[in-house]
Amino acid sequence: MNTVIRTENLSKRYGVVYSVQRVNLAVGEGEVYGFLGPNGAGKSTTLKMLLGLVKPSEGSVSVFGKDFSRNRLEILSQTGSLIEAPSYYGHLTGLENMRVMQRLRDVPDKHVEKALQIVRLEKQKNKKVDQYSLGMKQRLGIAMALLHFPKLVILDEPTNGLDPAGIGEIRELIQSLPHEYGMTVLLSSHLLSEIEQVATSIGIIHGGKLLFQGSMEQLQRNSQPHVWMKTQDNEKARRVLQEMELSPSLQDGFLVMEGMGDREVAQTNRALIMAGIDVYRIEEHKKSLESIFLSLTGKEGSL
Amino acid sequence: MLLRCLGAEWVKLRRSRIWLVLLVLPVFSALIGFANYWMNQAILQNGWYSLWTQVSLFYGEFFLPILIAICCSFVCRLEHVNRNWNVILAAPVSTPTIFFAKVVVVGVLLFAVQLFFLVLYICAGFIAGLHAHFSFPPEVFGWIMRGWLASLTIIAFQLWLSTRIQSFAVPVGISVCAVFVGLGLYVSGLGMFFPLSILTIGMGVLSQESLSLGELGTFAVMCVLFVTTGCALGIRHLTRAGL
Ligand SMILES: Nc1ncnc2c1ncn2[C@@H]1O[C@H](COP(=O)(O)OP(=O)(O)OP(=O)(O)O)[C@@H](O)[C@H]1O
Ligand SMILES: [Mg+2]
Repeated sequence: MNTVIRTENLSKRYGVVYSVQRVNLAVGEGEVYGFLGPNGAGKSTTLKMLLGLVKPSEGSVSVFGKDFSRNRLEILSQTGSLIEAPSYYGHLTGLENMRVMQRLRDVPDKHVEKALQIVRLEKQKNKKVDQYSLGMKQRLGIAMALLHFPKLVILDEPTNGLDPAGIGEIRELIQSLPHEYGMTVLLSSHLLSEIEQVATSIGIIHGGKLLFQGSMEQLQRNSQPHVWMKTQDNEKARRVLQEMELSPSLQDGFLVMEGMGDREVAQTNRALIMAGIDVYRIEEHKKSLESIFLSLTGKEGSL
Repeated sequence: MLLRCLGAEWVKLRRSRIWLVLLVLPVFSALIGFANYWMNQAILQNGWYSLWTQVSLFYGEFFLPILIAICCSFVCRLEHVNRNWNVILAAPVSTPTIFFAKVVVVGVLLFAVQLFFLVLYICAGFIAGLHAHFSFPPEVFGWIMRGWLASLTIIAFQLWLSTRIQSFAVPVGISVCAVFVGLGLYVSGLGMFFPLSILTIGMGVLSQESLSLGELGTFAVMCVLFVTTGCALGIRHLTRAGL
C-alpha cells in the first residue's frame, strides 16, 4: 500500500510550549484514517501543518511521496480540506460559495452540482449561507472540500454540530469516498465512537504527542484484558489476594484485576479455595475501545 | 492563476454592499465641495480651477483615503470572518497571487471611482454654469490618472494593514491619522515620500501648478517603490502567518 501522507518528527512550538511534538503520521492510500484526541490535543494544528497553513517548527511533511514545501501547489491541487469550523461567505448563497471555490480551483460546473448533491444541499443552494443552520454550513464545508474530487481529503471534526441522522449520513458518505472516488480520507475527531465505525486506521494524539497509530485490532490487542472474580466473601478474598501481592479493586460485587495470565488465574483460584472462600465466577472482560482511549488520554482531557 | 483569483474575488464582491459606499462617498465629497464653491463664488474667480480646488480638497484629502481604507478592510474582512483564510490559503494558488488579486480588485474599483468623480466634477461645473465662460482645463485628466496611481500606493499599504489587523475599523483609523501625517509632510516639502501626500501632489489638490518633468519622474518612481513595498509586506505576512 502506498503511503499518501508521511510526517517525520513534525513539531509545532508556540512560545516554549509544543502544541505538536515529534509526530510521525503514516496514512496509506485508500484508507479512512481516524485522527483522535481530546480538545487541545493538537489535531487541528497537525492538520494545518499538512496543508501549509501553519509552518512546522521542526520536522517535515510529505504528501503523495513528495516533499510538501517544495511541491505545495501540486499537492494542494489534489487535496481538499475542511479545517476547524466551516469557512463560508455569509452574504453569498451556498451555490455562490461553491462558485468562489470553483473559480479558485478551475473545475467544471458539473462538479459543483455533484458535490452539492453528495452532501444533499441542492435544495438549499440558493439560500444565503448566513441563514443556514450549523449542520448545513458543515455540509457546505464538506462540499467545498470535495468540489474538485481530490485524491486526499482532510476533514477536521466534520460532524461537529450535526444531528444524529446527519452524523450517520456523513459517516456513510465518508466511508464511501475511498471505493467510490478513490479518495484517501484523514478525519479528526475527539469522539472514538464517531470514528471506530468508519476508520480503517487510527492515530491517537494527546498533549501534542502521537500515543498510538495502527488498526483498531492492534489497539485492542495492545491493552490487557481484566479478570473479574465473584466470591463468597469479597472482603476476605481481597485480603488473601493482597497477601499474594495482587491489588484487586472492588467493582459491582466483583474483584477486578489487571495483567492476569492463565497461570495467575489458576493460582488465585487455588489460594482462595484453600482459604475456604468459595469462588462463584471468574470472567475475562476486554476493555472497550472507549475505555482504552480514555486510559491513554486521561479522563479529564488535556485542557 | 491571477485570473482564477480575480474570478473568485469578483463573485465575492458582486453581491456585497461595498458598492453603496463607492457611490456615496464621492457624491458626498463632490456635494460639499460644490456647496463651498457656490457660497464663495465672489472670491473663487478662476472657474474650473477654483471648482477643482474645492471638490478635490474634500475628496482627495479626506474621503478618497478613507474610501480606500474601507475597501481594503472590506476585502480582507471577507477572509478574516469564518477563518476563510484557511480555505483560500489551502487552494492551489500562490500566496503572492492571492494578495495581488486583492490589489487589482481594489485598484479597479478605485479606477471606477476616479472616473465617477470626474463625471461628478464635470456635472458640478455645468450646474455652476462654468462652461459658458471658461474652457475645460485639460490637466484634470492628468490629476485623475495620477490620483489613481497614487491610490495604488495607499491600497498596497492598507491591504497589508488589513491582512495583519483583523479589525475593520483600526486600519481605517490608521488611514485617518496618515492623512494628517501626509498633510504635514506635504507642507514641509517632503510630500513625495509618503503615499498620502503623493496623492495630494498627484491630484493637484493644494497646488494646480503643473509638475515638472523631474517631479513627474520622482512621482512615478515613488509610486512603483511604495506599491512594491506594500505588496512585499503584505505577502510576507500572509506567507508567514499561522492564520
Ligand atoms: N496560534 C496559536 N498560538 C498559541 N497557541 C496555539 C495556537 N494555535 C493553537 N495553539 C495551542 O495548541 C494546542 C493545540 O491546539 P489545536 O487547535 O491543534 O487542538 P485540537 O486538537 O484541534 O483541539 P479541538 O478538539 O478543541 O479542536 C492548544 O493548546 C492551543 O492552545
Ligand atoms: Mg481542532
